[in-house]
Amino acid sequence: MRHEDVSLRRAPAPPTHSIGSRTPLVDGIEKVTGRARYTADLPLGPTLVGRIGRSPVAHGVIRRIDATRALALPGVRAVITGEDFAAPYGVIPISQNEWPLARGKVRYRGEPLFAVAAEDEAAAEAALAAVAVDIEPLPALFTAAEARAPGAPLLHENKPGNIEREVEQDFGDVAAGFAAADLVLERRYECAEVAHGQIELNATVAHWEPERERLTVHSVTQVPYYLHLTLAQTLGLDSSQIRVVKPFVGGGFGHRVEPLNFEMVAAALARAASGAVKLELTREEGFLTHRGRPATETRLKIGMKRSGEITAVDAEVVQRGGAYGGYGLVTILYAGALLHALYKVGAVRYRGYRVYTNLPPCGAMRGHGAVNVRFAFESLLDEMAAELGLDPFVVRRANLIEPPYRTLNDLQVNSCGLAQCLDAVEQASGWRERRGKLGRGRGLGMACSHYVSGSAKPVHWSGEPHAVVNLKLDFDTGITVLTGASDIGQGSSTLLAQVVAEVLLLPMARIRVVATDSALTPKDNGSYSSRVSFMVGNAALRAAQGLKRVLVEAAAKRMEVEPDDIDWQGESCCVAGTDRRMDFAQVVQAALADTGTLTVKGTWSTPPETQGGKFRGAAVGSTAGFSYAAQVVEVSVDEDTGMVRVERVWVAHDCGRALNPLAVEGQVQGAVWMGMGQALSEETRYHAGLPLAANFLDYRIPTIAESPPIEVTLVESMDPLGPFGAKEASEGGLHAFPPALAAAVCDAIGLRVRELPLSPDRLLEAIQARRREEKLRALRAGRPGADVPEAERR
Amino acid sequence: MGALPEFAFARPATLAEACALLAVEGARAVAGGTDLVPNLRRGIERPAQLVDLGGIAALDRIEERDGALALGAGVTLARLADDARIARVLPALAEAARSVAGPAHRSAATLGGNLCQDTRCVFYNQSEWWRRANGWCLKRDGDTCHVAPQGRRCHAAYSGDLAPVLLAAGAEAETATAAGTRRVPLADLYREDGAAHLTLAPGEIVARVFVPAPTPGRRSGYRKARARGAVDFPLAGVAVVLVVRDGAIAELGVGLTGTNSRPFRLAGTEGFVGQPVDDALLASLAKLIQKQVSPMRSTVTQSYYRRQVASVLAQRLVRELAAG
Repeated sequence: MRHEDVSLRRAPAPPTHSIGSRTPLVDGIEKVTGRARYTADLPLGPTLVGRIGRSPVAHGVIRRIDATRALALPGVRAVITGEDFAAPYGVIPISQNEWPLARGKVRYRGEPLFAVAAEDEAAAEAALAAVAVDIEPLPALFTAAEARAPGAPLLHENKPGNIEREVEQDFGDVAAGFAAADLVLERRYECAEVAHGQIELNATVAHWEPERERLTVHSVTQVPYYLHLTLAQTLGLDSSQIRVVKPFVGGGFGHRVEPLNFEMVAAALARAASGAVKLELTREEGFLTHRGRPATETRLKIGMKRSGEITAVDAEVVQRGGAYGGYGLVTILYAGALLHALYKVGAVRYRGYRVYTNLPPCGAMRGHGAVNVRFAFESLLDEMAAELGLDPFVVRRANLIEPPYRTLNDLQVNSCGLAQCLDAVEQASGWRERRGKLGRGRGLGMACSHYVSGSAKPVHWSGEPHAVVNLKLDFDTGITVLTGASDIGQGSSTLLAQVVAEVLLLPMARIRVVATDSALTPKDNGSYSSRVSFMVGNAALRAAQGLKRVLVEAAAKRMEVEPDDIDWQGESCCVAGTDRRMDFAQVVQAALADTGTLTVKGTWSTPPETQGGKFRGAAVGSTAGFSYAAQVVEVSVDEDTGMVRVERVWVAHDCGRALNPLAVEGQVQGAVWMGMGQALSEETRYHAGLPLAANFLDYRIPTIAESPPIEVTLVESMDPLGPFGAKEASEGGLHAFPPALAAAVCDAIGLRVRELPLSPDRLLEAIQARRREEKLRALRAGRPGADVPEAERR
Repeated sequence: MGALPEFAFARPATLAEACALLAVEGARAVAGGTDLVPNLRRGIERPAQLVDLGGIAALDRIEERDGALALGAGVTLARLADDARIARVLPALAEAARSVAGPAHRSAATLGGNLCQDTRCVFYNQSEWWRRANGWCLKRDGDTCHVAPQGRRCHAAYSGDLAPVLLAAGAEAETATAAGTRRVPLADLYREDGAAHLTLAPGEIVARVFVPAPTPGRRSGYRKARARGAVDFPLAGVAVVLVVRDGAIAELGVGLTGTNSRPFRLAGTEGFVGQPVDDALLASLAKLIQKQVSPMRSTVTQSYYRRQVASVLAQRLVRELAAG
């Protein structure tokens, strides 16, 4: 059949545009109908039941673990300990001090100590109880202050003072900056530890084939590639022996951005038992695995001119890191890097301390490292604005970055829509007309935030491109996107399909995404630091452009014209200015005739100028594109019960370009909402190292009952490096909520709270403390009922 | 949470059969299971036999005669929340039912189960691993109350939402055993001991609850302090029934929950009869409450907060009800 014949039969379908259109997630149907299979649901055939035995002791030397009795029980197939692993692990190559099962010492209550595989749950339970453990207790350290005290016992011999990482960064002349300021204010802020609260429980299914010595692991990970590397390292296997598959994942928020002990334990159990092992953890075990946002103390001093211009910043941050390294040193570096890079500031002194304690390890959590320092920074800006009689918006506008801009700490900013974000929420919230005029008990507060679109330097630097996407096109004329990017609910698979569809002007129906199976898909560093849209999106963009070139060339050859003469319209193409046309199927046929199945690869790497400066730790915070956000929070405060109700939130987020506005709005709302949880009610707590709130009754994530309307404005600053101009959209909206809430509470009742969360008991205590102080002050001054200036109140 | 332990399961169709089954040692009644199942899955309880009361039609009735209510113990909280007769006669009960947990819980949880709910404590509602690591506790398997280590008794808090309303309204409970039934003031069902807060004999269950007809003009309400607007148990819960005649209190009943190891009816409210609802009265009411509540460190929220907020809620509720 010749192409001219086809064009006569029907009108060609018009080109389809996918970018910028509100697109439901490509895997949404499976999720809402319950058809999606998560790790624990997978029908992988019969599996043994795995269980982990955990340390009851917070700190101690392991004298003996005796599995003799357990192994003699019926149905028990394997018992393993730390001795069954070849090497320790840790997501950061220079701080690998954690064993999948403790070796030598235990360092927190709940640390995995041994594990069993048995034929059923009852046998596994019996085995757990039959393992004899002898631990000689050591003094335990539960706070950063205890751990830093002189003479405190060391958790890790090579870390004096229990300091995992001390960061010292100085930029510019801080003393001169403070001297030039009209107002210098110093305050202390405290944020309680919070956890991710991902809905899906942790689970891993590991399958060891003894004949081939091969391992297949299905797990809940956000980082299948790092898991792959870590499995090889801790089990002493060659990477080629391992296959890692990430099925549907029910949320991560950072809990799963590092390989977790239970994943390696499941694999080692499978090998020890020569079979398949399913290891499902309880919610409590999720809180013991933890990796959440550390309890943080921040001392912050800012110098400001009457105009609102920030002349100098001096900050000291102490993070209670828990027992192992994990992402810890990155967290303390992020806190310093993103503390001030949101604004144009005169000079900065930053001291950060990441401290080891006998508690479950902290790690990366949505907004990694930057949330608690943002609370301090924005809160202090609000307080200083009040002191200087400036509107909080004016203070932010006095310090705006104008791109292209190099921050004090050598971070490259290529696009910044913060000014538009400020305008949007100021207007939407009616700030000028309403702030300070809502009556006692009701108030408005605002704050800003920013975040990276992926870390410009990957954790495992190998010189490879940062992202690779393969596209496969075959006889069926469907395009398969092969990607290692982990869709954890944030919508990355949808986004990649949209990018490919847009470049080729094809309908989404032609695109399928196959993701995260190390046997099929290209390596990807994983879903963390909001890197996927930017980096993998760029790789997909380039892959699609490559495929388009191949198709255009094939069409040109078939129609005997130059590629430049082809007018590509997606479902068809024509020779420009003529009615000579081929439909997509014919183009595919023509292209395949030359080469057979088409596989086209696209890659992307961050340009060197975005990879940060030369000082120690400079890579952390560096990114190819910063997102920006501003928000206004409206609250009502009940001064008799300490209850804060969030009435409404207006948020504007500069996402560069909204590739999928529907998904972006959802992500921004989710980020705001998660910030609300941390600000209002979420808090892990410990009783001598045992987690008191290791369930969703006592760990109080907000319910829909207290979820406010969140009005989202998307600002499109069109980043020069982002795919179609896009940047991060899932994290940057979080950081500003807690300080905006605290500012709103202050607007409502004139009380500044510098601790998170603002739970009712904490707030009521602060309110009553203020009442007592006011009474005392009035008595002393002999002026009952005299008003006290706001700045002196706490 | 862990898997359920093994147990035998029976679903009798009559109260008599149920009582016969429950007379055997190791048997345990279950209705909606919303309170029991988490405890089973945490290894807190290991009954040999569960007796499901859900098949007993006689327990599933709501009857009203001239304002007096007879409520079957098997009536779900969702039904209590929606029933027109309850809304008319004792709206506080519907309010309290609506405030329990979430909709899915309310569709399964029952009146009897809520009244007989186990007491709660952060040192108790934990996994077996956790409790063992913490040296167990006075309420189960241990000899120390971690809430008050010097004390002699368990301080776990009773946290049911319905009991304070029924106590304030002067309800009675009909209980049943294989030997027959008895009718007692609801308050007699409870004692101030977190480890043994129910006075029910082994095998005895609550079958029905009787609420006397209200004095004309009675108003009632329930307020619950909690960190979140749903799901949470009360940090403190206050029920009030109030009759105001000619500007003065003719009847005032106050029930409290969440603050002690038992729900209780505030003693001494008779003294307010004849007085107007004003600031002085509300201050006296707050003092009375402060004397009788004794929240301890059994929740993640500080106990002083629960103490204070109990008074605040009671004052507000009385004021609101008085204002109509």
